[in-house]
Amino acid sequence: MTVLRESIILRRGLRVATAPLAVFSLYLLFAGHNRPGGGFAGGLVAGVAIALAWATEGEAGTRRLVAVRSTVLLGAGLAVALVTGFAGLVWGGAFLESAVWDLSLPLFGDVKLVSAIGFDIGVYLVVVGVATGLIRSLGAGSGEGPA
Amino acid sequence: MLSIILLHGLLALGILSARRFIGRYAFPVAVIGPLATIGWAIWRAPGIVDGTPRVERLEWVPGLDLSVELLVDGYALLFVALVGVVGAAIFFYSAAYFRPGPRVPLFAASMVAFAGAMLGIVTSDHLLSVFIFWELTTITSYLLVGYDDRSAKARSAALHAAMVTGAGGLAMLGGFVLLADAGNSWLISDLVANPPGGAGLAWLLVLIGAASKSAQAPLHGWLPGAMAAPTPASAFLHSATMVKAGVFLVGRLSPAATAETDWWWPVVLTIGVATMLVGGWQALRQTDLKLLLAYGTVSQLGFLFLLAGSGIPALAYGAVALVLAHGLFKSALFLAVGAIDSATGTRDIRRLEGVGRSLPWVFATTVTAAASMAAVPATFGFVAKEAAFDGLVGEGTGLVAIVALASVLTVAYTGRFLLGAFGPATDEPTGVDQIGGWKVWVPFGLAGAGLVLGLVPGLVKPLVESAAVAISGDAAGKLVVWPGLVPALGWSLGSLAVGLSLVAVPRAVDAVTAAVATVTDRGPSTEGAFRAGLTGLLGGADRLTATFQSGSLPTYLATIALAVVAAGSIPLLGELGGVELPSLGPAIEIPLALVVSISAIGLLLTRRRFAAVILLGGVGYGIAGIYAANGGPDLSLTQILVETLAIALFALVLRNLPADFDRARASIGRILTSVAVAGFVFVAGLVAVDSRTAPSVAEYYVEESLPSAAGKNVVNVILVDFRAMDTLGEITVLAVATLGVAALVLPLLRRKQS
Repeated sequence: MTVLRESIILRRGLRVATAPLAVFSLYLLFAGHNRPGGGFAGGLVAGVAIALAWATEGEAGTRRLVAVRSTVLLGAGLAVALVTGFAGLVWGGAFLESAVWDLSLPLFGDVKLVSAIGFDIGVYLVVVGVATGLIRSLGAGSGEGPA
Repeated sequence: MLSIILLHGLLALGILSARRFIGRYAFPVAVIGPLATIGWAIWRAPGIVDGTPRVERLEWVPGLDLSVELLVDGYALLFVALVGVVGAAIFFYSAAYFRPGPRVPLFAASMVAFAGAMLGIVTSDHLLSVFIFWELTTITSYLLVGYDDRSAKARSAALHAAMVTGAGGLAMLGGFVLLADAGNSWLISDLVANPPGGAGLAWLLVLIGAASKSAQAPLHGWLPGAMAAPTPASAFLHSATMVKAGVFLVGRLSPAATAETDWWWPVVLTIGVATMLVGGWQALRQTDLKLLLAYGTVSQLGFLFLLAGSGIPALAYGAVALVLAHGLFKSALFLAVGAIDSATGTRDIRRLEGVGRSLPWVFATTVTAAASMAAVPATFGFVAKEAAFDGLVGEGTGLVAIVALASVLTVAYTGRFLLGAFGPATDEPTGVDQIGGWKVWVPFGLAGAGLVLGLVPGLVKPLVESAAVAISGDAAGKLVVWPGLVPALGWSLGSLAVGLSLVAVPRAVDAVTAAVATVTDRGPSTEGAFRAGLTGLLGGADRLTATFQSGSLPTYLATIALAVVAAGSIPLLGELGGVELPSLGPAIEIPLALVVSISAIGLLLTRRRFAAVILLGGVGYGIAGIYAANGGPDLSLTQILVETLAIALFALVLRNLPADFDRARASIGRILTSVAVAGFVFVAGLVAVDSRTAPSVAEYYVEESLPSAAGKNVVNVILVDFRAMDTLGEITVLAVATLGVAALVLPLLRRKQS
């Protein structure tokens, strides 16, 4: 790991790479309902980005990407998933059943909004929280920040 | 009735939550429950006695046959009335008996909760709610026996009672489940109307539960111990009501049980007779008035068990009458003993003297109630026992003779009780303080009721008859003040005379019981047997734990893996014959499989930890490739991402570990274990793929994905809609595991740093 931190080229290069990774991660999250991807895969991509940030910049790097504690993400993710589940109970019929709304939006045209996207966002948040939490706790203890 | 049961629960909760400031009003509040019960019973009695049971139903989960079903027929009404009347009397008595203290409200709350649970037992028609109320009485009994929680003896007695009746309750639950399964209904009324055949084990288990609750030999040891409870609890739970739950249940079920099994009646007879004789005999040896009454209760319960469990209408009639009589005279006697105890400070018959002179009303109460216990004519005890004897005469001389022998013992211990309480002291006598109020008048009222009913049994005749009809279909007996010159009278007066002659020679009786005791005491006492059983159980659990929880991770893994292999191989072996090997997929699978295999073999051989992580990643990436080759981009993508993140996490962990693995010795045992597990997983995979019997759910998912969940990616729709509950569970596990890692790792690192 120290190798990564000692190489300025890698450090700068990987830092640049985090932005496209974040975009890819969000793309996977939102495209997932109709194309390969989804909250789980999207969250994992974000997790890889966080791992790279840790490798190049240490703890501070993970904080640059995720400003909050991992427990906040875990709790928020579970809460979002549960709330969406109850939304299914109200509009869809059963707990966690998808409700589908057909919307006509300016600029976007006709859009199908599925309540399951909320559930997927919950999954995404939990997975990012898991990655952040594991990297921070397992990475704690030595070599804070770039060497 | 449901509202009355709920009222008891609310009263208990209310008293508990107001315990800091309710003070001496705890019992006046609690008594609302029994008074409401009495009011309900009076209101509903005419209809029920006429033969229209009161039915209440509350649907809960109809799909699982879970509902609250209450059925109050004449039989249930008799017990409801008993719980209400005795309960109200005892609550008034308790208000005077206890000095206000911080724990008194807990006692009052437990008592009123118990009364509600007891009502639940006798009125529930659904087997499961019978069980729930049944165990609620076990719990409240535990709290009441252990009320004096600083006394080790009280705690131990509470545990003994709870474990014996709790274990019996579990046996009963097993019996209930089997019964409901065999009879295809949870309702007692259905099961009694159409008794299921071939349920012998079920009846046996129910009988064990009933016998443990009603303190039948050889499980009776807990009841004398339960006398550690304050006297009002002993009077209410351990003589008048709770211990009759078993009698109640066998009374309900015995017509069906005797119809379906041929062993029920002989077994019940043996248990009942043994209990009668053991209880009566032990009562003759006691020097504590309360313990004497407790063994007397054991003896009476044996008699009731025998009568109620017979399934014979004439005996059931006697049982119902005796339940009422026993409830009245035994609670009066217990409360009188409580009064004597609080006036003199002792219950020891060797030290009591002059109580009768100082407390004439207590004396009158005790003599009246004791006369009823000994079945002296003109008491309700006599009327009820005549009804029982009348039925027994029809069942053969041998049976009557045994019961008469037990009655002799009853008369003898009644005499011992009266002489002990009011006769001269043999040790240093105690003084007697004056007492009055509820403590004197409540037992007086209960004893007086027994006397009034003895002279005018017609007052309760409709109740007793409808109760007998409800369980046996027939009121095959009569309640009369004087039966005339019939054989039953001969038996009862004869046993009374023999009993009285034993009372006249107390020294001789003491000598005989002491002589027999030198022999019988060499055997294990029930208390000792319970202790030994408990010690053995805990010791066995210790040894079992020590064997399996060795603390060695390889042993745990091997145990789990081999257990799975052993259990799984049995069904697998039968399937091996017809297995077809799956056909080969796309050609690209061959190099991918080589990558996976070579990585796996390398993983076994390398000694570098980091190399092992990389090779493990090779296995994962290879499998991701196989997913992709078979048209699963989603799975493949996720697999690759998981592998990547996992390698990063492994790298973090490896920083804190040595670079090389320990040099492990490859023992034969480990190699065999590995080969067995690998072979099993391989074969199980082949068989599992080949043994589909139902159509795959995949087609349904593919078809329904777009129409019902508006998603084209079936995998994602499965995750977030079709199987979203699974996903919810999985992300919860992930979140908890992350917290677990933090909790495990961070303290370790902190310790390392400091």
